[in-house]
Amino acid sequence: MASRLDEELVAERPRVETARRPRLAPLLMALPAVVTLAAITLFPLLYTLRLTVVSWELTTGFPPQFIGVQNFVRVLTLDPRFWNAMMNTGVLVLVGVGLQALIGTGLALELNRLTRSRVWVLSLLLTPVMIAPVIAGFQFRMILNDQYGPLNYLFDAATHGHFHGFAWLADPHAALWAVMATDVWQWTPFMTLITLAGLQSMSGELLEAAEVDGATGPQILWRVTLPLLLPVIIIGILVRFMDTFKLFDIVYQLTGGGPGSVTETIAYYTYLQGFKFFSLGYTAAMSVIQLIVITIVAQVFLRYQKRTRGGATA
Amino acid sequence: MRRSSRRRRLLTGLILLAALIVFLFPVVWMILTSFKSNSEFFAYPPVFVPKSFALTNYVNAMRMPPDGRGGFQGVRDSLIVSIGSMAASVLLGAPAAYSFARYRTGGENLSFWVLSTRMFPPVASALPLFLVFKALHLLDTHLALIIANTIFNLPFVIWLLKGFFEDLPVELEEAAVIDGTTIFGAFRRVALPLVTPGLVATALFSFIFTWNEFMFALLFTRSDVRTLTIIVPSLVGGHEILWGQVASVGVVAIIPNVLLALLLQRFLVRGLTLGAVKG
Repeated sequence: MASRLDEELVAERPRVETARRPRLAPLLMALPAVVTLAAITLFPLLYTLRLTVVSWELTTGFPPQFIGVQNFVRVLTLDPRFWNAMMNTGVLVLVGVGLQALIGTGLALELNRLTRSRVWVLSLLLTPVMIAPVIAGFQFRMILNDQYGPLNYLFDAATHGHFHGFAWLADPHAALWAVMATDVWQWTPFMTLITLAGLQSMSGELLEAAEVDGATGPQILWRVTLPLLLPVIIIGILVRFMDTFKLFDIVYQLTGGGPGSVTETIAYYTYLQGFKFFSLGYTAAMSVIQLIVITIVAQVFLRYQKRTRGGATA
Repeated sequence: MRRSSRRRRLLTGLILLAALIVFLFPVVWMILTSFKSNSEFFAYPPVFVPKSFALTNYVNAMRMPPDGRGGFQGVRDSLIVSIGSMAASVLLGAPAAYSFARYRTGGENLSFWVLSTRMFPPVASALPLFLVFKALHLLDTHLALIIANTIFNLPFVIWLLKGFFEDLPVELEEAAVIDGTTIFGAFRRVALPLVTPGLVATALFSFIFTWNEFMFALLFTRSDVRTLTIIVPSLVGGHEILWGQVASVGVVAIIPNVLLALLLQRFLVRGLTLGAVKG
């Protein structure tokens, strides 16, 4: 796989120069997409904003009532379950994505040592990335099955029966780690893929120069290779941050948020409020909070992407 | 580059072998389970390789209820929704991507707004969309899922194709325009054929995203439309879980993913990072 970072797309992008510079045709070409996108995203956004100021409980049958900012007050100060979900999401993002970056980069460094077999090993490793998270959750549900799952059997054989029947998904201390394990399993190869691309785009000259100057293997790794890889790793972490923040499918399939509400993520809790408890105004307030967080991270991602496009890196 | 020692190479081999086992085992286990009888699933110590590789589970899982698990409906609905959203996103997205790439239509703000819509938490748009679809009597239809998935596929298609168009040298299109072709003609007859590999890759990515999508399918459908991602968890929820049959639906559900992963290999880095890293 010949790879390179997109550094050469520097500020000046080519455009088709014409004598009269007609402006209408490009506008017409962009219009259908922009109008469609606006229609299917702006309406939900505006409607959500309007809902945040009302109390609207579908289960009671009362019409919506204006309550100002009380939904936000309730979410942020009176709802431990919201903060529990936020904490869980935070752990999944910080620890989970951190692990993906660590293991993923480690594997990429190993893969980079291979020659002919690299492409094959990589494409086999990438299988988890492409499959639906719901299916990944299903696979882990079988593997973690307390009575018949292969994982407990393995531990059981190794510990002479201490692990028999350990219920990973029903244990309040283990369940969140099971969710994280599934997500880490699915996305570590993604981090491997992109850090490997970064490694391959690195010029051999720099590494050789370091070697000629007498740098040892670990020195080259920590002082040359990893700093050069950092922009790619950061892009990967930001992409994974935005995805993990929305984590829903795996929780739904693996634990259903349980036991109790131990494994509820913010996306899962919002789903419960909206589609199980039918608290529409409250759901809208939580949605807006998530939108704010995601918008901030997305801005960082876009800024960062623009900067690396400027050609400062790798 | 320094020659690595034999011992270091052995270590690399062992690490990667362990990684392959860890990352492939869950998939292999699902495939093995899809051939197991119920008594083989409920066995301890677990049965690793089933006695027979007969397709009984697959046949039963594909048939419609009450005899089967309705897997065939899942394949049909997943295909309709995925192809529908892919087609809509590419048809709308390709001209827009060209316009953004070559004419910076709407400036940087517009194209960043387009990208930011992809990052919306789906759960935030689910409630208003649900109410709209309900009002329009679109719940439990393919169209609802096609529209909802287009929210995420259209920005993806635009952003990725924009990158592919920007990679093209501009001279050919200029020559075509000077020769009297319209701008749309330069797009359709010059630029588009040149980005065909990128276009196909982009389309297939958006197919996969919809194929894997779960939340919208869960919220906007009930019985007329049931995608594969809905059928699998719904079969795990009941009292009597026929693991072998559910696993066979799971295997069917990942076939396109595995095939397309091989086809898309050259574009994976770019596709999965929204063009932020180019492989």
